[in-house]
Amino acid sequence: MKLIVSNSPHLHSSESIEKIMWSVIISLLPSGLMGILLFGVKTFWIIFFSVLTAVITEALCNIITKKRLTIYDGSAFLTGLLLAYNLPPTVPFWIPIVGSFFSIVIGKQVFGGLGQNIFNPALVGRVFLMASWPKYMTNFITPINKFYPFRLVKCDSITSATILSLLKEKKNFSVSYLDLFLGNKGGCIGEVAVFLLLLGALYLLIKKYILLYIPLSYIITVAILSYIFGPNGLFTGNWLLSILSGGLILGAFFMATDYVTSPLTKKGQLIFGIGCGIITSVIRIWGGYPEGVSYAILIMNAVVPLIDRYTKQRIFGR
Amino acid sequence: MSLVSFISIFISSVFIYNVILSRFLGLCSFIAISKETKPAFAMSMAVMFVIVMSSIITWFIYRFLLVPFNLTYLRTISFILVIASFVQLVEMVVRKTSPQLYKIFGIYLPLITVNCAVFGTSILNIDTFFKDGRPITGSLILSIFNGFCVALGYTFAMLLMSGIRERLEVCDIPKSLKDFPLAFIIASIISMSFLGFSGFRF
Amino acid sequence: MKINLKEFLKGIISENPTFVLMLGLCPTLAISTTLANAIGMSFAATFVLLGSNIIISLIKRLIPSKIRIPSYIVVIATFVTITELIIKAYSPALDKSLGIYIPLIVVNCIVLGRAEAFASKSNLIDSILDALGMGVGFSLALILISGIREFFGVGKIFGNTVIRGFEPVFLFAMPSGALLIIGILMGFFNFLKNKK
Repeated sequence: MKLIVSNSPHLHSSESIEKIMWSVIISLLPSGLMGILLFGVKTFWIIFFSVLTAVITEALCNIITKKRLTIYDGSAFLTGLLLAYNLPPTVPFWIPIVGSFFSIVIGKQVFGGLGQNIFNPALVGRVFLMASWPKYMTNFITPINKFYPFRLVKCDSITSATILSLLKEKKNFSVSYLDLFLGNKGGCIGEVAVFLLLLGALYLLIKKYILLYIPLSYIITVAILSYIFGPNGLFTGNWLLSILSGGLILGAFFMATDYVTSPLTKKGQLIFGIGCGIITSVIRIWGGYPEGVSYAILIMNAVVPLIDRYTKQRIFGR
Repeated sequence: MSLVSFISIFISSVFIYNVILSRFLGLCSFIAISKETKPAFAMSMAVMFVIVMSSIITWFIYRFLLVPFNLTYLRTISFILVIASFVQLVEMVVRKTSPQLYKIFGIYLPLITVNCAVFGTSILNIDTFFKDGRPITGSLILSIFNGFCVALGYTFAMLLMSGIRERLEVCDIPKSLKDFPLAFIIASIISMSFLGFSGFRF
Repeated sequence: MKINLKEFLKGIISENPTFVLMLGLCPTLAISTTLANAIGMSFAATFVLLGSNIIISLIKRLIPSKIRIPSYIVVIATFVTITELIIKAYSPALDKSLGIYIPLIVVNCIVLGRAEAFASKSNLIDSILDALGMGVGFSLALILISGIREFFGVGKIFGNTVIRGFEPVFLFAMPSGALLIIGILMGFFNFLKNKK
C-alpha cells in the first residue's frame, strides 16, 4: 500500500484548488463592491493595485525560483484582495502596493509557495503595514454614501474614529444596528458590509468550501468574552455590537478558515477558533489597539503545527 | 500578593511581554536550538532551572549584601557570576547524564550564562519587586514566580518555533533561506504579531 | 611563530559571528538603530574581544575546567569596565547613546563564545587573529544592518535626512524589523556563498 505524505492544503471537498480559490474570491466581491459604493471610486483603485501587485509579484517569484507559474490558481489574487479589504479607504496608493509585495514575498514565497506558508499572507502584509506606517493605517472616514435598501444616500464624509476605537476610549456614542449590518460606518474597505460578507460566507458554507467550526467558535468566544468583560463592569458588555464591529466577520469566515494555515482536525479547528477569540478579546478589552483580529489569527497560525500534532487522528490498529 | 497580581504576572510574563518574542532576549539560543522539539524542550528546562535558581540567589544577594552595604552598583557583575556558576553546574550534570544532549547543545549551553533572558530577568525582578532598595510585600515569592513565568514564556516560544520549523522540513524552501534565515523571518513575523499586545493594561 | 592568516579571515565571512555563528544577537538587535551606534559599539566590542582572548589564551592552563566559565566572566568583565571608563572619559556622547549596552558587552555571546570555543584552546597569536577577525566581522555586520535600518527605517544617515519626502518604514527601526533584515541578509549571504 502506498503511503502518501502530503502537504496542505488538505481539501475538505473533492474540488480542485483553483475552483475553490475563485469561488472564495467571488463570494468576497459583493463586500468589496459595497466598499466602493460607500467610500468612493478611489477604493476601486486600492483593490486593483493590491491585486495587480500580488499577481505580478507571485509571477516574478515563480520566474526567479524557476517554478511553473502559479498565478492562475487564484491564491495570489485572493491575497491581494484580502489585503485591500483590510485597509482604510484613505490610504495612498503605494500602501497596497508595498503591502501586497510584502505579503506575497515574506508571507508566502519564502516558505516555498502555496500550501507551505504558516501564516496568512494577507495578514502578514497588513501587520507589516500597520507597524511601519501607523498613521496611514488608522486614518478612517465615515462613508460618502450610505446604503439603505435599495438606494444610496449621500453624506458628508468626515474623518472619524471607528466604533471599536470609540469603545476603547470609553466615549459615548449611539449607533444603529442596521447601519452596522449594512456597512454604513467607518472601517476598512472590505470589513464593513457585514450583511454581504455573511451572504458570501453562506455560499461557501453551502458548497462546503469552508466549515463552521472555526467561524462559529471564534465569534461565539468573542461574544461571550465581550459580554462578560463589559466596559461598565462585569456582564455589561454589548455582545452584538462587538460581533458586528471591526474585522471579526471578515476575519472569522474568510481568513481564519484558510486551509493552509488552519488545523486539519475538527477538534483542532475548535481550539483554533477559541484561541483566536480569546486573543482578539484580550486585545480589544485590555490592549492598546482597538482591534485585534489580525494579530490573533497570526498568533494562532503559529500555534497550528502544535495543534495539528496533538490532535492527530488515531490510526487504525494502533 | 493577591491572586490578581499572580494572574497578572502570569499573563504578562508568559504571553504579553514574552521574553523572546516581545523583549527579544535570549535570541541566540532561540534561533539555534529551536530546530527540533526535543532539544528545544530540553534547553527550555535548563534555562528554567537556571532562571529560577538565580532569581532566588540574586534576590538574597541584593537584599542582604548589596543594599545594606551600599554596593548596588556591583549588581551586574555579581549577578553574572552567580548565573555563571549555576550554568557550570548544569553543564556538569548534563555532561554526565546525557552525552548526546550535551553534544547537541554544543556551545549554547555555556552560553546560557550570557543568555540575556536569564540576566535580564534577575535585573527585572529587582526593578519590579524592590522599591528604593526595600523589598515590597511578598517580593521573594513574586520574584520566583516571575522567573518561573518568564521561563514558561521562553518554553512557549521555543515550542512554537520548533513546531513550525519541523513542519517546514517537508516544504521546498528556497535554498539560501533554508534553516536559519527563514527562522529569523519567522521570528520576525511572530514578533510582529505580538506587537498587537502593545499598550496592554490589566 | 607562524602567522596563520586564515584565523583572521574566517571571522569576516565564513565564520562571521553574526550571520554564520549567530552570536551576539540581542545587542545587535538593540544597538543597530543608527550608524553612529554601530561604529561606537564595533570599537568597544572588538577591544574587549581582543583583550579577553589574549588574557584567556595566556592563562588557559592555569584555570581548572570546572570553574572556567566564571573565570572567563571575570576577565571579560574587567575589560568591559576598562572600556566603559575610557568611553565615559573620552566620549560622553557615545556613552549616552550606547547607554546600558556597554556594560552589557559582558553578556555579549561573541566574547564568551570565542573565549570558550577558541582562545581557551589555542595559542596567543591565533587567539589575537581570531579576536581581530571576529571583531571585524561583527563590525561589518553591525554597520550593514544599522545602515539599512537607519536609512530605510528612519530615513537618515548619521542623523541627517538624505531623501526628502521619503516615508520611512517604521518597522525597520523596531527589533521585529531587525530580525527580518538579518534573515534576509543571511539569505543573501548564503546565496553568494552557494554561488561560489
